[in-house]
Amino acid sequence: MSQGEKVWASSFTRRTALQNLASFLGASPFLLGQQDPFRDHSRVPRLEELLTAFDFEPVAYAKVPRVAYDYTAYGSESEFTLRRNREAFDWVDLIPRAAKAANVDTTCELLGNKLAYPILIAPSAGHTQLHPEGEAATFRAAAKAAQTTMVVSNNASLPMDKIAAAAKGNLWWQLYPRRSLDDSKALLDTAQANGAKAIVVTIDQQSAYYERSLHDRNLSGGRVSTRLSAGADPNPYRVLTNRAWYSWSYFDQIRPMVKVPMLAKGVITAEGAVKCVEQGLDGIVVSNHGGRGMDYLPSTLEVLPEIVDAVKGRIPVLVDSGFRRGSDVLKALGLGAKAVCLGRVPRWGLAAFGAEGVQRTLEILQQELALAMADMGRPTLASIDRSLVRTRFK
Amino acid sequence: MNQQEITRRRTLGVLGTLAAGSSIGTAGEPEGRITPLSELVNVSEFELMAKRKLSAAVFATIAGSNRQDMERCTFHPLSMVDTTKLNLSTELFGQSMFAPILAGPASDQAKIHGEGELGMVRGASAAKAVTVISSRTSHSIEKIMAQAKGPLWYQVFPDAGEIERAQAAVKLGCKVLVVTVRNPRKPDWPAIDRMRKGIAVPVVLKGVTTPADAETAVKRGVQGIIVSNYGGPQTPSSFAMLPPIADAVHGRIPVLVDGGFRRGTDILKALILGAHAVLVTRPPLWGLAGYGADGVQAVMEMLQTELARNMIMIGAETPKALTRSMLKRHP
Repeated sequence: MSQGEKVWASSFTRRTALQNLASFLGASPFLLGQQDPFRDHSRVPRLEELLTAFDFEPVAYAKVPRVAYDYTAYGSESEFTLRRNREAFDWVDLIPRAAKAANVDTTCELLGNKLAYPILIAPSAGHTQLHPEGEAATFRAAAKAAQTTMVVSNNASLPMDKIAAAAKGNLWWQLYPRRSLDDSKALLDTAQANGAKAIVVTIDQQSAYYERSLHDRNLSGGRVSTRLSAGADPNPYRVLTNRAWYSWSYFDQIRPMVKVPMLAKGVITAEGAVKCVEQGLDGIVVSNHGGRGMDYLPSTLEVLPEIVDAVKGRIPVLVDSGFRRGSDVLKALGLGAKAVCLGRVPRWGLAAFGAEGVQRTLEILQQELALAMADMGRPTLASIDRSLVRTRFK
Repeated sequence: MNQQEITRRRTLGVLGTLAAGSSIGTAGEPEGRITPLSELVNVSEFELMAKRKLSAAVFATIAGSNRQDMERCTFHPLSMVDTTKLNLSTELFGQSMFAPILAGPASDQAKIHGEGELGMVRGASAAKAVTVISSRTSHSIEKIMAQAKGPLWYQVFPDAGEIERAQAAVKLGCKVLVVTVRNPRKPDWPAIDRMRKGIAVPVVLKGVTTPADAETAVKRGVQGIIVSNYGGPQTPSSFAMLPPIADAVHGRIPVLVDGGFRRGTDILKALILGAHAVLVTRPPLWGLAGYGADGVQAVMEMLQTELARNMIMIGAETPKALTRSMLKRHP
């Protein structure tokens, strides 16, 4: 064999070399980076194509950064309560009357406010994360969707006056208790000066923990330790105790600062509800913070009946956590709730299509509720009672 | 023909070899690579890391959890309770523990990590947690004890051959002797009594699975029990057996429990149902497998912190403030 033939026989063939190159390119992460392997992004649907609130979630996912999507989606720790909130709707059946209702009236009165539907926007933080117009867009949409009441979060990304100026509508305001009464008063004064028609004080979520958020911050380049950051006044068990001071007497202290109805949000037991009545509160919101407070709390739906029974009609009982459908709302009304608050649903609308998306999600649920009432033969909210529902909570 | 000549064939060959050998092209993570410790956010993630570190055969001995019964409970908290002075410390057999969570006994830990029990004890005591040392260790008890900054417990089986080891461990300073029942369905009481003879420290019986056995243990003068079950899926979980056993014991001696605890909320549930403390065994081993002593410390601290956080949210400033009404068990 000649020298040249030896080289030829022992060296790479062009075919092998090209194959190697092709496998390298095929396996290269640079190529994978061009597409999200978990989802086909080839097309985002138009607003008109979305028929249920659920339809908005994947669009929201596609349109905002992963961190913003996850902030809306996650629950605390194992997310047991987050899942249970949705499961619970399968444990309640709606029982129709023999005759459908021809005309449905969904109006009601809540703490001196006239509502076209018993549906409100629950307080949730940081709307500019989802859309540049933030809470201003949410409020404008709420006002357009039959003057839906919006509860503005204490952690809103826009100041209350900017939000209030965005539309003519109904605003409530939510407060995280502040240890300093001066701070509490300053916040409550600002909210009421800007037209808040009710104050909602959150009493849960003293020490919640979101694992998805920690993962996301690692993904986005920030270095996050599971141990507490320095200077945060950690106790020996490395937990923040900045909200551990909460006590019922706080309501006595802030009562003189609140000229409008005051509600407590985060009630999850009958005892807690009775305590709220004794504190002279004007209403309660049964809530597990959408599965973002303590994990392994029950779903709000399963504790709603005992709470309604304990309150005995003395103050209105509102509820949130997991509502996605008009029929979900109707189930809560059947169990005795006066109204339902939506947290994630309008957030998906906002992330997907801005103000128009929020308006559409609200209108979808309003329409679904009216349809469900008609189907069940309940023409008015007053005609809804427990005979509408059969429960088999697990 | 000049061998150094650059041919198209040679060029492509070199390029192909370079590309194929490049680390950029390696898809996925190489075997044995694990996430930096500071990025792990819960105990279950340590299990995934242990899986990457260990051979399949070794991992199988410490894999998995039976948490089914813990998943059928919901909390019933007290709202608006001031818990600023949160304190988890627990008095057990005359010792004050930082938190009611112990690292349970496991044999031959060198198969998990080179440091074995040395890393386990160093990590757990850095987290101010008591470790229960198995009588089957990879290192001498003297070397293990030298790593501890706090009290250690010692675990034996009620066999004649173990009596000497138990006495030696107590002599070296182990504060509590844990005697593990060989067959939880039929404890050999005379053998257990023989084991206790001449032991000056409290003796805790591990492997109690029925209220009747708990009653016998109290009557025979055992100082504490650990509700524990390695009987397999057909027997009720130790978590499920805890309430009737705690009721039967009725506070006469401390009741501890182990088996499947992976979350602060799991531990909180056991404390509500009457346990004085909880042993976790696999979780610190997962930590040890991935990160040695640092991993053990991180796991124990994570569970303490999760428990603390949930104590605040359930409205209990100390474990004594927990009551049965704070937990609802679902069928």
